[in-house]
Amino acid sequence: MLRLIALRLLAALPVLLVVSLVAFGLTLLVPGDMAAEMLGMSATPADVARLRHELGLDVPTLVRMAQWYEGLLHLDLGRSVLLNQSVTEAIMQRLPVTLSLACLGLSFALVLGIPLGLLAAAKVGRATDQAAMGTALVGLSLPDFWLGLVLIWVVGVKLHWLPTGGWVSPAQDPLGWLRVMAMPAGALGLTQLGPIARMTRSAALEVANSDFVRTARAKGLAEPRVFARHVLGAALVPILTVAGIGFGAALGGALVIEQVFSLPGVGRLVIGAVLRRDWPVIQGGLLMTATVFVLVNLLVDVLYLWADPRLRER
Amino acid sequence: MIRRRTFNAGLLAATALPLPAIAQSTGSAGKRGGDLIMAQQAQPPTLDAQTTTAQASRNITLHVYESLFTRDEVSNPKPELAEGVDISADGLTYRIALRTGVKFHNGKTMTSADASASMQRYAKVGGSGDVLKPVAAYETPDSKTLVLKLSKVFPGLMEAISSPRAPFAIMPEEECAKPAGQAAPPMIGTGPFAFIEYRPDSHAKVARFDNYVPNTNFDKRDGFTGRKTAYFDTVTFRFMPEGGARTAGLQTGEVHVLESLDVAASKRLKDDKNIKSYPMLPWAFMTLMMNTNWGLTANVELRRAIQSALDLEEIMAIATDGLYRMDPAWQYPGTNYYPGLDGLAAFTTQDQAKAKQHLQAAGYNGEELQLVADSSFKPHLDAGTIASEQLRAIGMKVKLNVMDWPTVMATRSKPEGWNLWPLMMGIEPYEGPYNVVGFFAGRQTVQIKQDPVIEDANARLASELQLDDRRAAVKQFQNRIYDQAIAVKVGDVGIVQATRANVMNYAPYRIPRMWDCWFA
Repeated sequence: MLRLIALRLLAALPVLLVVSLVAFGLTLLVPGDMAAEMLGMSATPADVARLRHELGLDVPTLVRMAQWYEGLLHLDLGRSVLLNQSVTEAIMQRLPVTLSLACLGLSFALVLGIPLGLLAAAKVGRATDQAAMGTALVGLSLPDFWLGLVLIWVVGVKLHWLPTGGWVSPAQDPLGWLRVMAMPAGALGLTQLGPIARMTRSAALEVANSDFVRTARAKGLAEPRVFARHVLGAALVPILTVAGIGFGAALGGALVIEQVFSLPGVGRLVIGAVLRRDWPVIQGGLLMTATVFVLVNLLVDVLYLWADPRLRER
Repeated sequence: MIRRRTFNAGLLAATALPLPAIAQSTGSAGKRGGDLIMAQQAQPPTLDAQTTTAQASRNITLHVYESLFTRDEVSNPKPELAEGVDISADGLTYRIALRTGVKFHNGKTMTSADASASMQRYAKVGGSGDVLKPVAAYETPDSKTLVLKLSKVFPGLMEAISSPRAPFAIMPEEECAKPAGQAAPPMIGTGPFAFIEYRPDSHAKVARFDNYVPNTNFDKRDGFTGRKTAYFDTVTFRFMPEGGARTAGLQTGEVHVLESLDVAASKRLKDDKNIKSYPMLPWAFMTLMMNTNWGLTANVELRRAIQSALDLEEIMAIATDGLYRMDPAWQYPGTNYYPGLDGLAAFTTQDQAKAKQHLQAAGYNGEELQLVADSSFKPHLDAGTIASEQLRAIGMKVKLNVMDWPTVMATRSKPEGWNLWPLMMGIEPYEGPYNVVGFFAGRQTVQIKQDPVIEDANARLASELQLDDRRAAVKQFQNRIYDQAIAVKVGDVGIVQATRANVMNYAPYRIPRMWDCWFA
């Protein structure tokens, strides 16, 4: 297993190199300038040039590129002048918000999606199957930002059950944290529920007529137990694949959900940086997101080995 | 020898030291306490007040920092940390008397050394640093006097240094060596609230400064100056990018003040007893800027075709959701420099037949007009979209290029590649004529190509000592803008500020002011 992890990490290096190149290339291709943003529309070129110099933004491209890669070799993503802190520090402050949102959202999708898929497979062709898959399809079709706004309107404004946004640290107030995260995670989870439920149903149906399932039934096991214990176990690998992809999608969705619910995560950091052309933060944010994505894929590969013993023997 | 002249409303008039005549009624006595939460769309690009012109920064920094001079309720310049100013007869020496006993949030007493260092830092890194170029020397003859010695006459100096655009924040001398963007956080000022914390992407928090020294030259709050009293224990500025979420927060009471509520939402919530709406009109000019340097719009006949083709009221009605006023003047009515409406009707009435004649005279042959509009501000995009359709109606080919704000800013500053650009001018008309006329003059003109008549108007505005002469310069500017169709003033845009009903004595202003209001 260690060999597999080492190989996957090695294979990730070219991916991260390409991401770093693209991230740096963006600074050359996309118009706009942080100094001009700070000064506003009436600023003269002289004003902008003066502030660019003050901020150290007038360094030649090649020098900047050399500084960027030299920093990366030391795991240093650079410094944001606007935030007045290192990019690594800025991202690390916000990463727990984004990761916890993505994890909660995905957990929500798994907890609801897998039983829904199994139920649909158990009642294939019947009204329950149609209803379950219809629900999954609705979740799949709804845009997460719209769902977020509807939840705010219904759950926050009309029912007064949950706060409409903001952030509470779990270390300070675990219950408060759960309350503020419930709606964003729910909105994110509902959009991921569809693929997980559909894949669970499809994978479960594939193994539902296998010999070992028939044997389990012949032993007299109740149908829910057959599905929960035998069918689910055998169907786990494709579900894990979808969950892995879903985590990536949840990370992407978190960028939007953080905007809607005013959560101070990496998504808001990067979007804010894009609007202000804070290039070190954009570059660092992209690289960090890619790294998380690679690590999650690695984790999914490791989970395959856990879920399917046959893979360990290959 | 210095002859005592006093500064009032941006004029050089030989009268007694001006003290405020206009102030806000506070009604009953206020009540201390509570954490007021104000929501704003954007987070500040920086809290280094001097370096940024962003409204998102001003909302916060103007609670913490104060300036020597600022603007009153009707946007006229008034003293804040200064007692007043004596301007020499030749207009070259400004002797500014400072208020005494004013405390910084770090406990230090403000002196002329702090004021001088702050102004010199501003000259170096300030968002409008160029306005201090005429200042050749900063002198501090004693601890409560700052003398500015100018190398040339600049009658607009008091208007300039009292502008809150990029505030001339006074900070302790030892803070002034910090480079651009580094003076904050933490912010150390003299304002009624002191900085507590800033969490990017989430919020900034300030607390009532109990050692605040109110300005006893005033009776009550007055614009950004006046006798300020902080009642809230703390004020939290939350950054909430989603408009619907901000409105929902106000409805549920999680937010107490909104810097801006959608006009449509304010109509929907007009019967909600828990919410008070405060429409503010005028808030900004809606304009369509033209590039007189490049392509189709380099031709004055074609620009006149655009001028005649537009139904300005239709643009305003849609772009502002109905909160607008039609006024073609390039200053606000009631202000010192209002140039009036004489002769403007011919330029502001839609006449498609006339527009087609101008097109023909321009030799228009179906070339594509490049309109750049940003998607970051809905009124800009709406105005651009409607203007495009109205121009197509007279047979023009229009390409609407929608970009984000920084890309539009970068595009429009180039001499080529764009023809038309919808823009709301917010703070500039509030400040008076200098930055409105100045936007079209000098090294970086918005229309790209300098216009000699506007340059002359700008020079006269910057040098004439008599108010009437400066007013004439503004009139000259306005006439030229219309005659040469250099830009289109579409109308005046309004905004709605909103509070929970339990926020008492709130008065809307350029930014939501959290002093002199309290919880019921």
